[in-house]
Amino acid sequence: MDITFVLLNAVVIASIYGLIAVAVSITWSSLGLINLGYGFVFSFAGYGAWLMSTYVTKMPAPVMAAGILAGAICGVIICLVVFIPLHDKSNFTTRGMVGTLAISLLGSQALLMNFGPRAKALPEFFGTGSVNLGGIVLTADRIGIVVCATVMLCFVVFWMKGSRRGLEIRAMMMNPHAASIVGIGIRKTGIYVMAITGGMAGLAAVLLSQTYYVAPFSGLTPLIKGVSIALCGGLGSVQGAIIAAVILGFTEAATSSLLGGQYVLITQFLVIICILIFRPRGISGLLDKAREQ
Amino acid sequence: MTDVLVIDGLSAGYGPLRVIHDLDLKIKSGERVGIVGLNGHGKTTLLYAIAGLTGWQRGSIQLNGVEIGRTRSQGPGRYTHQIVRQGLAIMPQGDEIFNGLTVEEHLDSGAFTRDAWRNRKFRKQRVLDLFPPLGKLMGTPVGRLSGGERRMVSIGRGLMTDAKLYLVDEPSLGLAPKISQSVMEALFSLDLKDSAMFIAEQNVALLEGRVDRVINMHAGKLKGEASSSLSLSKTHG
Repeated sequence: MDITFVLLNAVVIASIYGLIAVAVSITWSSLGLINLGYGFVFSFAGYGAWLMSTYVTKMPAPVMAAGILAGAICGVIICLVVFIPLHDKSNFTTRGMVGTLAISLLGSQALLMNFGPRAKALPEFFGTGSVNLGGIVLTADRIGIVVCATVMLCFVVFWMKGSRRGLEIRAMMMNPHAASIVGIGIRKTGIYVMAITGGMAGLAAVLLSQTYYVAPFSGLTPLIKGVSIALCGGLGSVQGAIIAAVILGFTEAATSSLLGGQYVLITQFLVIICILIFRPRGISGLLDKAREQ
Repeated sequence: MTDVLVIDGLSAGYGPLRVIHDLDLKIKSGERVGIVGLNGHGKTTLLYAIAGLTGWQRGSIQLNGVEIGRTRSQGPGRYTHQIVRQGLAIMPQGDEIFNGLTVEEHLDSGAFTRDAWRNRKFRKQRVLDLFPPLGKLMGTPVGRLSGGERRMVSIGRGLMTDAKLYLVDEPSLGLAPKISQSVMEALFSLDLKDSAMFIAEQNVALLEGRVDRVINMHAGKLKGEASSSLSLSKTHG
């Protein structure tokens, strides 16, 4: 029960929830959509990876790729079904939220009908080896999870900074009206955004399945945590989402080792409420200029 | 001289409000056309209607022979990016800019056609030749610039692509006289070739003698055309 153990757990949890929180955050700030469909994306990606591992190969890389791809496809489906028909109608924020939530519930039921209620296990990707670093034991799966999540996050951040599509997405995050004036198509950019954020949620699902199982409703808790972390970090801010993920990851790790796993949600939401009392717009909500209207 | 823009029977507005009333207009290639009128008489709405940004609209708008106007009852901005890709450059009123992007990224975002994106370096240089003060500011976020510099960025962004029609909305709005003079100077010095420029402006003195014709707009209708500053005073009188 020492502090390094708690810290290590915190980093692992933070990297998984951070992926979802950043995905939620990017979707909100560029499309104005609070996507509650990530619960479904999450389970869908888990099943995608499971199908790959059962029917094709158990090699880690293809299974992970299958999870990311399934997540991206699922994100595009949500975009086509909810975002494109609704985005220029009145009350889009509320309608979009209801629509994505409906997809999440429907989709998870469909998975339940298709695959049954029994949870599936994914193969271990990172082996069972461990490294001893000055008294701290780092197991391979923890290192693997943190490395994969960090690589994905860095990829997304650099892609947003460096590529032309990233420029379009950032322009849309800052001023959607001006974006259409310079010829950026909202619907086309929406598909890119949903594909890349879906891929992020897919990777999070695959990584989390190293500890938990893949089940039809396994996406619900990560979704709630991801959305509340994104809210806590200040919706629309990538840095804020990462900071909040670290704080809440630490809370979760500390609570589960000091008090016990059943108190995790309680302390986590207490921390979120405290943060939002003192910073109603989230941790970096005031620092960030995105969507400040 | 081909017609770059042909508007026929255009009506547009927002919700129950009708701002533009059955308006007809033709702009030929190589022309600089000014449109003057008081606040709230529909200059900006006319430019927005061309770009498909009004709440609703009906009537025909042809840009370079392609129909871009359509009858819409909702969805402002839904087709704007397609219209822009047909060859429309909009330099909007006020600061429709992306606060967090740098000046350079801003100019890049204006180069949306494949051709423009490929030789964007050359095009950026062309904008810098027109607005030398921007050269030192390429890496600065636009949110930190002064009003005049922002206007230069927003106009420069519109110049990054080969547009057939440049829509310029109130280029002098909110700027010090000296700066607005230099911004206008840049607009007038641009070689239009086969494209056209349509400038909405309240300050008639800035347009006087520098544009091919000036149209007066009143209560959502066009009132008289003038080919020079001399007849301009006639339409006012």
